[in-house]
Amino acid sequence: MEKVFWQKIEESLIFVDLEAGSTDEIFEKMGGALIRSGKCKASYIDALKEREDVFPTGIMVQDIGVAIPHTDPEHVAESAIAIGVLQEPVDFFHMGTNPAEGAKVPVIFVIMLAIAGNHHLEMLQKAIQLIQDQEVLWKLTQAENAKQIIEIIKKKEEKENENS
Amino acid sequence: MRTVKILSACGTGVATSTVAAQTCQRLLAERGIPSVDITECKAMEIVARAEIIHPDLIIHTAEVPVDKLSDYKCFRVLEFITGFGAEEVADQIADYIKATVKD
Repeated sequence: MEKVFWQKIEESLIFVDLEAGSTDEIFEKMGGALIRSGKCKASYIDALKEREDVFPTGIMVQDIGVAIPHTDPEHVAESAIAIGVLQEPVDFFHMGTNPAEGAKVPVIFVIMLAIAGNHHLEMLQKAIQLIQDQEVLWKLTQAENAKQIIEIIKKKEEKENENS
Repeated sequence: MRTVKILSACGTGVATSTVAAQTCQRLLAERGIPSVDITECKAMEIVARAEIIHPDLIIHTAEVPVDKLSDYKCFRVLEFITGFGAEEVADQIADYIKATVKD
């Protein structure tokens, strides 16, 4: 069963060298693109912020800081993923902790999920495959433009399809 | 062994808890525990859901109120998201299940 999941990935949802001084700025820029593309509702950005404040999504994958911001399906029209490589690291609180504990992660790679419902396992798995492959993750952080990101992701998918 | 009931919690109940559930199921099957029923939920709802479902254990990727879940063994499973250390955590969960879940 060959399925090319990333075929439809949109360049407008990929940010390379993203300039952001705070998590809010990341949410506004990437979330704004998801809203403009029609994937998310206008409430998405505020919902992202509220959710991140309570259940943070920063995580260290070996030595690369990754964040997986997302929020409730009611703010999403159609499932999608936005990808951001930050110009400078931005601190997120650590996933699985209470922000009051103060555990921070310097995030350089953001994979923002817009999840429209309960049954989007494939999209989640594809997103997680990207961060679980250390070589792919490193390459993504080094990409110079959206086209390179798409190429890296497609190659990764071809590799996964060969293995499955 | 009977079907093992696991409750998987994250902030929204639809993202990292789903990935964690999937990974957990696969790794437990590899450890001779094929029959696992995993329910996903929001961390905010976990105390109420645990009272209804009575899981054998809880896995979570978001902070949960462990003081209110003292009847249940809770495993924080960020390793199932990053992939690093996932096998070791799965070993711990499998050992716990084998020690506590009887036919």
